[in-house]
Amino acid sequence: MSDTPTGAGPGPTAEPGGGTSSDNPNMAAGEQAELVETGLEVQLSEQLMKVRDRLVEAFGDLEVIGFRGELTLIVPPERIIDVLRFCRDDPELSCELLADLSAVHWPGGKRRENAQETTGWPTYETGSEEGRIELDYILYSITHNHRFRLRVSLPDVDPRVDSATSVYGSANFMEREAYDMFGVHFNDHPNLVRILMPEDWEGHPQRKDYPLGGVEVLYKGATIPPPDERSY
Amino acid sequence: MAGSDDPTTGADTPTSGAEHPTGAAEQPTTELAPSGDGDRFSVEPRHEFTVAAGEWQELPDAVDDDLMVINMGPQHPSTHGVLRMTLTLDGETVLDNQPTIGYLHTGIEKNCEYRPWVQGVANVTRMDYLSPLFNELGYCLAVERLLGIEDEVPERAQAIRVVMTELNRISSHMVWLATGGMELGSTTVMIYGFRERESILDMLEHVTGLRMNHAYIRPGGVSMDVPDDFESRVRALVKELRDKVGETEDLLTENPIWLERNVGVGILTAEQCFDLGVTGPMLRAAGIPHDLRKAQPYCGFEQYDFNVVTTDTADAYGRYLVRLGEVYESLKIIEQVIDTMPGGPVMVPDRKIAWPAQLGLGPDGLGNTTEYIGKIMGQSMEALIHHFKLVTEGFTVPEGQVYTAVESPRGELGYHVTSNGTNKPYRVHVRDPSFIHIGALPTLTRGLLVADVIAAVASLDPVMGGVDR
Repeated sequence: MSDTPTGAGPGPTAEPGGGTSSDNPNMAAGEQAELVETGLEVQLSEQLMKVRDRLVEAFGDLEVIGFRGELTLIVPPERIIDVLRFCRDDPELSCELLADLSAVHWPGGKRRENAQETTGWPTYETGSEEGRIELDYILYSITHNHRFRLRVSLPDVDPRVDSATSVYGSANFMEREAYDMFGVHFNDHPNLVRILMPEDWEGHPQRKDYPLGGVEVLYKGATIPPPDERSY
Repeated sequence: MAGSDDPTTGADTPTSGAEHPTGAAEQPTTELAPSGDGDRFSVEPRHEFTVAAGEWQELPDAVDDDLMVINMGPQHPSTHGVLRMTLTLDGETVLDNQPTIGYLHTGIEKNCEYRPWVQGVANVTRMDYLSPLFNELGYCLAVERLLGIEDEVPERAQAIRVVMTELNRISSHMVWLATGGMELGSTTVMIYGFRERESILDMLEHVTGLRMNHAYIRPGGVSMDVPDDFESRVRALVKELRDKVGETEDLLTENPIWLERNVGVGILTAEQCFDLGVTGPMLRAAGIPHDLRKAQPYCGFEQYDFNVVTTDTADAYGRYLVRLGEVYESLKIIEQVIDTMPGGPVMVPDRKIAWPAQLGLGPDGLGNTTEYIGKIMGQSMEALIHHFKLVTEGFTVPEGQVYTAVESPRGELGYHVTSNGTNKPYRVHVRDPSFIHIGALPTLTRGLLVADVIAAVASLDPVMGGVDR
């Protein structure tokens, strides 16, 4: 581990969410300061710095995030297939495995998240200016034993990106899952149908704007309300 | 749910997928309601969900092409749970195999988003039910990395984690052997495998209180220290397992039927494994000595001496050899950990993260120790407040996203966890190896006979609880 200062990358960005974690009322002040400090710290191993240098050299305009020793590169959606192919074929990177492909939905606008939904009391404000879906491709190289993340940011209304199935066969199932859960359309995917939810399901359950279901109780029509509508 | 045995989903009407919902609605499901007494028990057909998969439309014309489409599963004793495979056959040769999954989808990932961080452990342990401790470990490593306390987890907790997960690996491999053996017609192997698994589950129950779904590994350590007789019992168990696994090995390794059913079946080369994301014993059977315990050690695995078992046959028999070899390597690791078991606490010292109480065995069962109850109820109001806040709200985790992976019995089990700085995960994604491996099924089974599909699927060792999550 070599502690590299934050300014090493071409403009390290704030971590996702844009949320205001400083509002957390149940944290001590000292702890708060400490978390802010460590959260923005870029600490990448020399190996990952080489990966970063190599990718930034090949695709100049990539944004770089380092967090907890993990490297994330933000790739424009239209270039993701090129970058993936480069990562797979370049002898210095040679990422044999697309280890994971998953998405995170950050809805637009301010969202009050009430911790009362389950237990506890604090209310958090999260959200960002515009809604987006972040697709994360985790690449792993068995040859060089490094792992890093490519991130693509898509609008959360009709998100579209090219399918990676031409580069990695394993992307087939992962993209189907991302389509099923987030409604991301992968262009040229061979069989983009739902995978976990039933075929006639409506909506994409892992999106944050998907309404939560309550629980029907087989007793005189009673129901348990969904977690975000419960009052204790 | 109603209508699951709908006859129209049969293989003889492959193109009926589009019309299916209306057809199903006409089924006389409402007859289930008793006549007279209101509609309290009536089953309304609007709750039906069909799984008419999209690939039905792509299937060949059975008459023109002289091909047959056979639906195998989801209710099939040899598909390891509710896996459905749509086989396109030419005679008995499999031309195409499209798996359909999702029958066991329980929305665990989504559920995690509405529970405090600590409760996530109890959720994820229910995914891959044959290796619950690996799920807990992967999740906890992710939370610890987000919290930045990876290096603060006590050595003893890490050693306990290693012993417990390696025991779990053996029990998982034993179930694989038992079910795989049974699917190929060997009930003896089934009895042997479950017998060994049972001794291991007894051990896990002795330590955690539960046979499965332990919720034992927690962010920052483990939920409680091991019992006093842990070391002696583990030593006895290791000795017992070494003998008994040897029995199974004697029975199978040179067995002509076992060889005939497994050698050369379900070949997946290293290149195919890379392309399809296949890891774990499948990749090692293809000759690639890749093991995350060696490559990216966690929980102090770098201290222990063990080999990565490989073969170069890339077939079902090679996977059998690799898994059996791994059992012996796991036993070696367990012995080493027991020999060097460090003392000390089993939870991080940070009181804002560590669960406030250690559990103890009282006259009425397992619970918070009486000394601790006496302290928070009788002596310290601050301790009571602290306990209350931490148990109800949990701790907050800094914003960020991490990916941690552990080597589960099936391959790389990854936890991709996102936090937005609150007391609950913002998103938990699980890269379950079984899910990825099911994606390799079409490649794996192409050109096999139907009976060999059983052997090939068995060699994948998919656990549908992990596939569907």
